[in-house]
Amino acid sequence: MSKSNLFKMLALFVIASMALAACGNGAQATEPAADGPKVTSTGFECPAAEFPMEATSTELNIFVWTEYIPPDMIECFELVSGIKVNRDEYSSNEEMYAKVSAGGSNYDLVQPTDYIIALMARQSLLQELDHAKLPVMANFDPNYLDFEFDSGNKYTIPYQAGTDAIVVNTDAVETVPASWADLWNPEYAGRMVFLDDSRAVIGATLLTLGYDVNTTDPAQLEEAKNKLAELVPNVKLFDSDSPKTALIAGDVDLGITWTAEALIAQQENPAIQYVYPTEGAILWQDNWAMLTDAPHTDAAYAWLNYTMQGNIFWMMLRDFPYTNPNKAALDFAKENYADLYDAYMASPITNTPAEAVQNGHRISDVGDATPLYDDIWVEVKGQ
Amino acid sequence: MLQRLRENKSTQGTLLALPTTVWLFILLIIPLFLTLVISFGKRSPDGNVIYTFTLNNYIRLSGYTTDCPDGQATCFDPLYLQILGRSLSLAFNTTALVIIMAYPLAYFIARAHPKQRNMFLFMVLIPLWTNFVIRVYAWMMLLRKEGAINIIIGWIANFLHIPFQPFEMLYTPGAVLVGMVYEFLPFMILPIFTSLEKIDTSLYEAAADLGANSIKTFLRVTLPLSMPGVVAGTILVFIPVMGTFIVSDILGGRQVILVGNLIQRQFLDARDPTFGSAASLILMIMTLIVTYFYTRKFGFGEEIVAA
Repeated sequence: MSKSNLFKMLALFVIASMALAACGNGAQATEPAADGPKVTSTGFECPAAEFPMEATSTELNIFVWTEYIPPDMIECFELVSGIKVNRDEYSSNEEMYAKVSAGGSNYDLVQPTDYIIALMARQSLLQELDHAKLPVMANFDPNYLDFEFDSGNKYTIPYQAGTDAIVVNTDAVETVPASWADLWNPEYAGRMVFLDDSRAVIGATLLTLGYDVNTTDPAQLEEAKNKLAELVPNVKLFDSDSPKTALIAGDVDLGITWTAEALIAQQENPAIQYVYPTEGAILWQDNWAMLTDAPHTDAAYAWLNYTMQGNIFWMMLRDFPYTNPNKAALDFAKENYADLYDAYMASPITNTPAEAVQNGHRISDVGDATPLYDDIWVEVKGQ
Repeated sequence: MLQRLRENKSTQGTLLALPTTVWLFILLIIPLFLTLVISFGKRSPDGNVIYTFTLNNYIRLSGYTTDCPDGQATCFDPLYLQILGRSLSLAFNTTALVIIMAYPLAYFIARAHPKQRNMFLFMVLIPLWTNFVIRVYAWMMLLRKEGAINIIIGWIANFLHIPFQPFEMLYTPGAVLVGMVYEFLPFMILPIFTSLEKIDTSLYEAAADLGANSIKTFLRVTLPLSMPGVVAGTILVFIPVMGTFIVSDILGGRQVILVGNLIQRQFLDARDPTFGSAASLILMIMTLIVTYFYTRKFGFGEEIVAA
């Protein structure tokens, strides 16, 4: 084959792929909003803003978790406020932190989980919220406000909450685990999926040994390392993106996952159960926070007030059922979508039992000990 | 002025190379220099870089530490050296397997009728149209316990009335090797093909006239003349494999930490860019050393340019 022919062929590929890409873009173009009732592309009729906010910005840049915001929510906000939402996604707090702390990100709102908030605040990445501009705060269940990670909700308002606990296919195992310590049972060797999350897995190990999930004591961490080193060879896979997939596909029979993953797995296979371990599950909460250099703060306040109102936020129950801190949304669902509400309340996965909350542990930033935790992780996996 | 430029070939060359030079300077030289500076720094409790001069990160990589659990003054833990060693051996194994698989195919394509050659090359290139990660995910579908391969073998076994236990293929080191070989095969086939195709057929006739059989012809004529392609392919495969971790993450179930994972973790979970920078530099130096000795033995593989 002559070289010029090869080049011609390559050029053809490039042109063909560009043409395909162009088609993709064309299909996504949004139509101008019509007058009258504002209806999304899925046919959902958008409610009006309960707390209309003055906003001169025409854009809002949000940096959020993947698969965590209902498309109807974004579309309704755009239709009602006329503000265009630009969304970027991340799949770990660390990824978000790395991008935001590098500066010049141009984002208005981010969704940090509890433990990273103090660190972001210390680095002056977050700006204090003006509660006078957040009438929607009244919608939240006080149990989800004023945590140690952000006392007085100076920087954040809740989005959704959840747990990391044990998930198990009760049809496939002989004995159902009841505690973190049970995971060391040889019956489970080669049948487990763990989150690829050093703090959660080392935290579970520390709890097994009776230590604090946030210990910085090198001796306790050394002990946890040796304990975890016994367990890691029994783990078939580490996956923080979609641990449910291996569970549903039957590649593994149990493991450590978080709320929504367990729920979706259970919907696929009712034999899959979520177990709150006796030593206590790991509790977490995702929140909205505004960056110090947010270019569109007015649009950000408009977004928070609109999306957190009950007749919008109920759709989290439909699309991303985690533990919902928004009382107004739950009330709205109870009256208008009783089946969603009942399913939410009946499931111990979404409606975390009070004793599991009381018994639970929260991960916080460990500062100087962070490399110690990472060393343990690298070492137990690298053995 | 323009007239002079038209006559002065060397100025023309400089001007043409200018955009690339600026590009390389901004995106390669400056970041590399920053990496070097940061690698001598210290981590602050919040994970920022404290600029100072310390060799601690390199000492930590070497395995020696003064922070011993049992109170000794210094101790040795070859953790990071093991990770480097594991990455190196995976890269060697992948490259060797890729050569063994790519050579016969490239030979076949080069010897095919010119009309079919285009077709075959086209088929080698088609998979590259799809995103790298998506192709790795496709292997997941094939290899899992209830995946395509096990289902088909199950059918056959059922048909022959043989008892069948599905194979555990996904999340094993074998799966990682299969994925790596699959991903990098085209990068070996193309340069070997190019150098095989260039061999003058009259050389084969001469060898036959002089009484060489086909094995001898291959060993004395074809193989030596195609070595530049093999060398070029090796460089194109070995270097990326050293730093890749996506394949081992997806098909290996993240149980294994390679040097790529180690570096990535430093910039994300561990928030220790100083140690990450030191590890990146060591990886680069190691790759350079291996490539240097390899190319000194076999030449630089002009096929990199030709391919």
